[in-house]
Amino acid sequence: MVRRLVRWHVNFILSCATTGVSPNELAGDRRTDLRDAGKQDTVEKAPAPFLARHEFLIRRLHSLSGLIPVGAYMVVHLTTNASVLNSSATFQRAVYAIHSLGNLLPLVEWTFIFLPILFHAIIGVVIIRGGLPNTGSYKYTNNIRYTLQRATGMIAFLFIMWHVFHMHGWFHFPAWLRVAEPLGGAQFSPYNAASTLGAAMSGLVVPALYAIGVLSCVFHLANGIWTMGITWGVWISPAAQKRADVVCTVIGVGLAVLSMSALGGAMKIDVEEAEAVENRMYEAKLATGELDEASSAHKRADHAAGEEHSSSADASRLHAGAGRAE
Amino acid sequence: MAEEAREGRSSKDHFEVRILRQNGPGQSSYWERHRVKYEHDMNVISVLQRIAAQAETVDGKSVAPVCWDCNCLEEVCGACSMNINGRVRQACSALVDRLLEDNPSEIELQPMTKFPVIRDLMVDRSRMFRGLTRVKGWVPVDSYENMGPGPRQTRATQEVAYPLSECMSCGCCQEACPQYTKIELTRQEGESEEDFSARKNEAFDRGFVGAHAISQAMLFNSNPTGKNAAGERLDALMAEGGIQVCGNAQNCVEVCPKNIPLTTSIARAGRATTLHALKKWFDE
Ligand code: HEM
Ligand code: HEM
Ligand code: SF4
Ligand code: SF4
Ligand code: FES
Repeated sequence: MVRRLVRWHVNFILSCATTGVSPNELAGDRRTDLRDAGKQDTVEKAPAPFLARHEFLIRRLHSLSGLIPVGAYMVVHLTTNASVLNSSATFQRAVYAIHSLGNLLPLVEWTFIFLPILFHAIIGVVIIRGGLPNTGSYKYTNNIRYTLQRATGMIAFLFIMWHVFHMHGWFHFPAWLRVAEPLGGAQFSPYNAASTLGAAMSGLVVPALYAIGVLSCVFHLANGIWTMGITWGVWISPAAQKRADVVCTVIGVGLAVLSMSALGGAMKIDVEEAEAVENRMYEAKLATGELDEASSAHKRADHAAGEEHSSSADASRLHAGAGRAE
Repeated sequence: MAEEAREGRSSKDHFEVRILRQNGPGQSSYWERHRVKYEHDMNVISVLQRIAAQAETVDGKSVAPVCWDCNCLEEVCGACSMNINGRVRQACSALVDRLLEDNPSEIELQPMTKFPVIRDLMVDRSRMFRGLTRVKGWVPVDSYENMGPGPRQTRATQEVAYPLSECMSCGCCQEACPQYTKIELTRQEGESEEDFSARKNEAFDRGFVGAHAISQAMLFNSNPTGKNAAGERLDALMAEGGIQVCGNAQNCVEVCPKNIPLTTSIARAGRATTLHALKKWFDE
């Protein structure tokens, strides 16, 4: 089941990405034979009655969820991440600000981030399955954008599933973390924000996969804002849609720069130096009573959490910690 | 120019036509080649007339004449739509000289892929007309008495309405739409024509209405008398298979032979349904 899903995803993305045509078209050599092109019996594969009855509402909620909260979250998230370019301390401060929500954080994450993404992603896949991309026969720009919107949606799906596992781990109960961490998940420790991010971004493969995933998300959002404007009836005339194109291109290019800054910033973090800064910030928060050790342990990198909170950081242990994280 | 360009399988004074044929609904399709003598100013309908007269393939095999649909021969009835060299258009206005410029070796004809084939190049477009019924694509005036002249239309509404009124229900916008997928049912044993039709309509009503129907809904919603049914048309556009199925690929507007601003209609319908939904939410 999972294997089939993954295979289907990979096929879809590869074929869309390499040729701009759908797998259906590839299989049936669409250029010379349109026989199978229209074949998709929407009657037999009819959606569940609930989805059908509320199709309009669900599609509009899907459209909205792409911008609010998912798109909005992504912009804030990329901005926070790009702050690492300024300094590890800036990034750490931003993460502390987010984590000042304390025990409410998982609730906020699930209601405003995870569930909306899952809703948008699942309905998105249902939508993708209901269409038959035909860029092979009709190579118009907007048709190519239609196909790319779907291909980047699929990439975004895979990327976000993996990315949240990689950094956050999805769940934070200890039994799960004991499984996830050895598999390369839950690498990010919020109270050692920059150092764990930097360690997780080492090598070339991970950053390359991030670049593909993140740029797909960026295209998907920028192009999605444009289609959204038509869906809701904001830009109507062809001239207005052209102007909206310009605006969305600017948004897209801006977000691409922002996201690549975040990625570049994450890649060039000096793990040891960052960890030293983070530990000093942590000590200070302990001293002022803003944090207490017991409830902070799981938010620190393992080696740092295990350490006595002596003010002089043990360089060799830090070294070992950084080396292990790589 | 076109004549010089012709080469390959087609000789200088003949050209080949590759046709995807099908003997009846639900049967499998097969390719067949025909050779046609080149004449000046031919269009695809005149090519099909020659092919029907010859009723013989390139290999000299005698075959049943190829079946197709047409009426007006001047691109106003919409009956002759088919895929010509891989792109949907009207056979009557597809000029052979132009087609051979694109591809000197042959002309390729296939029936539309989104509608059930009746025979060869002839398809059943009833789903498209069902779409018009769904959105009440007419002005509802039903009375025994003479109601006198209708309200006047302003110049501005007329100018918006006229281009939309040119739609000839040809099916090109549905054929090219990635969100419009084929619905084909087969008649069951012992099923009456009425029952079959009812079953088809039920299936059609759950599928995408199509860009032409969305545009016609906007046309009649802008008509001073047609407006009376505006709410019902918007309800139809918000039902299953309504405007929400559109994925904004905008192929419809690219292929429409009448250059109807379909995506403008779609965006207007998007706005109208947004407002209609809010109104229903708060008023009812
Ligand atoms: C996680 C996997 C995702 C999938 C499978 C997915 C799929 C889709 C699909 C198929 C559409 C087109 C809907 C249509 O044209 O009818 C769409 C639209 C959209 N998506 Fe996504 N998406 C995903 C993630 C995201 C993310 C992360 C964002 C924001 C950053 C986003 C923002 C949008 C927006 C703004 C639209 C436009 C809605 C409209 O056209 O009305 N999506 N998505
Ligand atoms: C340069 C690119 C990116 C970097 C460096 C980055 C970094 C991170 C980090 C460090 C976390 C862990 C936060 C925590 O556990 O508290 C995280 C979580 C997350 N990221 Fe990203 N991210 C990037 C791009 C994206 C993009 C494009 C999306 C798409 C929407 C995304 C969605 C998420 C989500 C949903 C979470 C989990 C939510 C949360 O932890 O609050 N990220 N990211
Ligand atoms: S809108 Fe254009 S393409 Fe569609 S049916 Fe009418 S005339 Fe044909
Ligand atoms: S804009 Fe909508 S109706 Fe037109 S081709 Fe695209 S999906 Fe189909
Ligand atoms: S025969 Fe009427 S449009 Fe071609």
